[in-house]
Amino acid sequence: MSLSRREFLKSSAAASAAAAIGMSVPAELEAAANTAEGGWRWDKAACRFCGTGCGIMMATKNGKIVAVKGDPAAPVNRGLNCIKGYFNAKIMYGADRLTKPLLRVDANGNFDKKGKFSEVSWERAFDEMELNIKKALKVSGPEGVGVFASGQYTIMEGYAAQKVMKAGFRSNAIDPNARHCMASAVVGFYQTFGVDEPSGCYDDIELTDTVVSWGSNMAEMHPILWSRVTDRKLSDPERVKVISIQTYTHRTSDLADTEIIFSPNTDTALWNYVAREIVMRDDAEKIIDWNFVKKHMIFAAGPVNIGYGMRRNTDKSIKEGKYTDLEMETISKEMKTTVSAKEGPALEPFGYKEGDTMTHKGGTLGHWEISFEEYKKSLEPYTLDYTAKIVKGDPDESIESFKKKLQELANLYIEKDRKVVSFWTMGMNQHTRGTWTNTLAYNVHFMLNKQARPGSGAFSLTGQPSACGTAREVGTFTHRLPADMMVKNPKHRAIAEKKWMIPAGTLNGVGKQHIMKIHRDIEDGLIKFAWVNVCNPYQDSASATHWIKAAREMDNFIVTSDGYPGISAKVSDLILPTAMIYEKWGAYGNAERRTQHWRQQVLPVGDSMSDTWQWMELSKRFKISEVWGAYAPSGPRKKALPDVLEKAYAMGYNKDTTLFEVLFANKVATTYKLDQKDPIQTGYDNSEGYGDSRNVVGSDGKVFNGYGFFIQKYLWEEYAAFTRGHGHDLAPFNMYHKVRGLKWPVVDGKETAWRFNAKYDPYAAKATNNGETGEFAFYGTLAKALQSGTLGGKDKSSKKVSLKNKAKIFARPYMDPPEMPDAKYDTWLCTGRVLEHWHSGTMTMRVPELFRAVPEALCYMHPEDAKKKGLKQGGLAWVESRRGKVKARVETRGRNRPARGLVFVPWFDEKVFINKVCLDATCPMSKQTDFKKCAVKIYKA
Amino acid sequence: MKTISKITIGLTAALLLFSGCGSDSAAPSSSAKVAPTISEESLGLRKTDLYSEKSDTTGMQTNYSKEYAGGSHKIKRAFQDAPPMIPHDTDGMLPIKIGANQCTGCHMPEVAASMGATPIPKSHFTNFRPKGGFTDGKFHQGVDNYKNEVAIKETNHLQGARFNCSQCHAPQTQGDLAVANTFEAAYTEKDGASKSSWNGKKYTESLDTVKGGDNFVTDADVANANSPAGVSPWTKH
Repeated sequence: MSLSRREFLKSSAAASAAAAIGMSVPAELEAAANTAEGGWRWDKAACRFCGTGCGIMMATKNGKIVAVKGDPAAPVNRGLNCIKGYFNAKIMYGADRLTKPLLRVDANGNFDKKGKFSEVSWERAFDEMELNIKKALKVSGPEGVGVFASGQYTIMEGYAAQKVMKAGFRSNAIDPNARHCMASAVVGFYQTFGVDEPSGCYDDIELTDTVVSWGSNMAEMHPILWSRVTDRKLSDPERVKVISIQTYTHRTSDLADTEIIFSPNTDTALWNYVAREIVMRDDAEKIIDWNFVKKHMIFAAGPVNIGYGMRRNTDKSIKEGKYTDLEMETISKEMKTTVSAKEGPALEPFGYKEGDTMTHKGGTLGHWEISFEEYKKSLEPYTLDYTAKIVKGDPDESIESFKKKLQELANLYIEKDRKVVSFWTMGMNQHTRGTWTNTLAYNVHFMLNKQARPGSGAFSLTGQPSACGTAREVGTFTHRLPADMMVKNPKHRAIAEKKWMIPAGTLNGVGKQHIMKIHRDIEDGLIKFAWVNVCNPYQDSASATHWIKAAREMDNFIVTSDGYPGISAKVSDLILPTAMIYEKWGAYGNAERRTQHWRQQVLPVGDSMSDTWQWMELSKRFKISEVWGAYAPSGPRKKALPDVLEKAYAMGYNKDTTLFEVLFANKVATTYKLDQKDPIQTGYDNSEGYGDSRNVVGSDGKVFNGYGFFIQKYLWEEYAAFTRGHGHDLAPFNMYHKVRGLKWPVVDGKETAWRFNAKYDPYAAKATNNGETGEFAFYGTLAKALQSGTLGGKDKSSKKVSLKNKAKIFARPYMDPPEMPDAKYDTWLCTGRVLEHWHSGTMTMRVPELFRAVPEALCYMHPEDAKKKGLKQGGLAWVESRRGKVKARVETRGRNRPARGLVFVPWFDEKVFINKVCLDATCPMSKQTDFKKCAVKIYKA
Repeated sequence: MKTISKITIGLTAALLLFSGCGSDSAAPSSSAKVAPTISEESLGLRKTDLYSEKSDTTGMQTNYSKEYAGGSHKIKRAFQDAPPMIPHDTDGMLPIKIGANQCTGCHMPEVAASMGATPIPKSHFTNFRPKGGFTDGKFHQGVDNYKNEVAIKETNHLQGARFNCSQCHAPQTQGDLAVANTFEAAYTEKDGASKSSWNGKKYTESLDTVKGGDNFVTDADVANANSPAGVSPWTKH
């Protein structure tokens, strides 16, 4: 096939023209050379899928990928990939790749929201986008323009999108799907360390004695990390212990010494139980490292009546009655709950008891310092009896056996000279108290001084390949700017404005439109234009029916850029065919702070172009005079945005200057040269830089011949500048093309293995005078001056005290989630992934081997539950919640084996659209959806 | 304009050729006029109504091979050195647990031939992970990652990292695909469809990916001269 394409191009009329225009296009030359040698071109790249961040070796021949193998030089995975990793080779070749922009039109070819799709030109596509963005800006201001962003953007794409949105349109309504996967971890980091991202690295696995997986099915979701855990376990089976703490049995438990099945949401109680053991036994057993704690820690608390991140009754769509009575049964808990018997004892130290009414206010990040005695008080309820009673998740397990496991768990953490790593991902993050649970993990490790040391630490794993790299580090969130800067902070805005060469005061200081808020703002009619980038929000968001309805039936314009027509594309008004991962230069950042770059391996399919190109072309359509005027208050922004045009003109811009000229093709950018003599670039395509032999007709109706400069390197270097000297230091572009990734901070060319540890982290070394004043420095700067108080509240008259270089141990209770099984909806529903599929399956369902491995989403359940409900193995069942229902086949003996009372239904399958059933409650602090818990009934279909 | 439309037509034809196998979505040429021809239902994996859940919306039913291990037809490897898929019934063989890995019972090289099983290849008996160590209480890597060094050691036992067979090898449902895939395998070995060739010298083949330049980090790379965009805004703050 690849041959016939080449042959075809050669013999077609296009070929001569392509050759004339594309003499310098390297793919053609390279392909020719390879054909002459009959050889393959191997290059290094990063895996497209999970947050592990494996390195792959990828072979191309005649402009197509032909093979993938493990990279023995890649420190993460050393010559091994998982099944998805190997099949990166095929992900771009599904037969239904999008090749042309598609617009909904009427019979006359005019845009029609109710119309079918028609192929249109890129020029027409950008015409429609320009028109609708301008309309949205006029009606709703910058808050009316939203972007569903991604933890799967390349770093450069995320950075380009952020620049156009925040610097260009002055809109902070850009938030990534990473909100759904990592936000609780992020807020946990900020609250505890004052800075985002883990202290440890994957070398911890080979160096530890104990791996505790908290609600994480690493065997399927981080298979290569699990292969390292397995290797470690098998290398010393007596010494190395693996504990699997889960809401249902799965492959991670298959390797474990001990499995603890807990009742959904009670992991907070379990962490507090371990902490209580540490604290209460300390007098007798001298467990706590008090030197470390006194020097480096403070204790803290915050309010508990913070709701569950659902809609409030003041929201427009609630007032308009867009939610049914059934839905309101759960949503009403956002305003008010009655303290249950289960959570009552845990809440007593905070001033609530069973039967009390708790009036909830919207989530707050506020917290204050408390004494150790107050912290101790918060732990008192978590006796072995109470903990075992509320935590035990398998009704068929005896309480005595369960208690023994809890004691074993605590003892393993406590054992002197035993190294312990705690891993978690979605189980702890997708949780209506996700932020709390994250901070509770650090508590235990801190008190034992088992954090930020080789082989020991609480280690938050990421789900997506660049949730760290693009979403968090680039700051592609509504509230963030690059390198831990915040839109709320005027100093940070000023630094970004200067670097971006935009007028002071351009950036919008209100960043509250997180990804669920974007959906809700569309439903409320505030957001009128939304663009989906590298994600699938209409399949991946809970309470999906609402968002789809809002997209299809309201007066708005939804655009999806994708390689394949997923559900988001289908419900959009405009679909843009988009280059996939190895069809562009890029970089991802993984869960151990490792950044990895790759080069463009092949040309994109059809007329598809990269997200970077799409943002840059869009930016050509906007003159600064059209976007930098004054805006009245709108949505969450209660103050006007100033007109900054005079300042812009004083900087040398004029009213016709476009955002493209300011943000991309500026005088700094154009110094980054395309150069086929540069060994990094030699022989590689750069479709944005040169254009390519496809001669795609671009946004102005003319063949796109490239920007003429090395845009990806410019974007990288400008972004990296923010990180350098700011604790996140990223290395120069070229360095990454020579090695298999580097763990930031990279200072003087050297990566950092363990952060905050003065032996390894140059920033900690500096803060401690090379370790003279201490082994650690928790140098993050966010919320590092606190007032004080008690568990009951803040003492308003207290003075703020600086916590420089210290971290925090938080008092946080167990609380029920807002929806739990009851008589009518009697079963917990948990959703998530399976090994063979990635997220919504748009790529992996099109790879024959992966599709054939798992062709459908099954409803995994206990055989007795199935029997009781009259369901048969392999038979169809309805899974129904207050929000909707879907049909799935029952699996009672598969890889996931729940206890009675819980089912697991993965979400990759468009035909088993489980997010119609799930609840969009979030952690009210992190705004991350809890996909792991809602109540359903199951009956024969 | 003339040349451009020719090119577009050429490319469209090329694309049709590309997606010729299996795609049933309408694909009119780009020179066609803008008209509402492509329905939402024709796109993607779910061809039924997205807005309601009715009886016609069900997942593609799983139908793994029932052929017994040893008596099944082997599945061709997807490309050179791709992990082979499982052609036989795995009922009762999973899950894999410590002390209970039933796959090895038939697939260990010494017994595989007699069992009619695909033998576990050499790579699975090779340790690729360099062992780091501590000097003066400080951890150091086993190899220099700034030079892309590798440490490859053949052993006589199955590597722990490859113990979880099901992380790469999976049974396959029979019947139609959801969507065809146009990937084409190009085997470099005659028996590439049935056998792994990834061993010995092949492990390190082509690991140097910077052609005509240094494949290690140089002082000049670290210095990063001539990168005006890369200058930190934080200096002297």
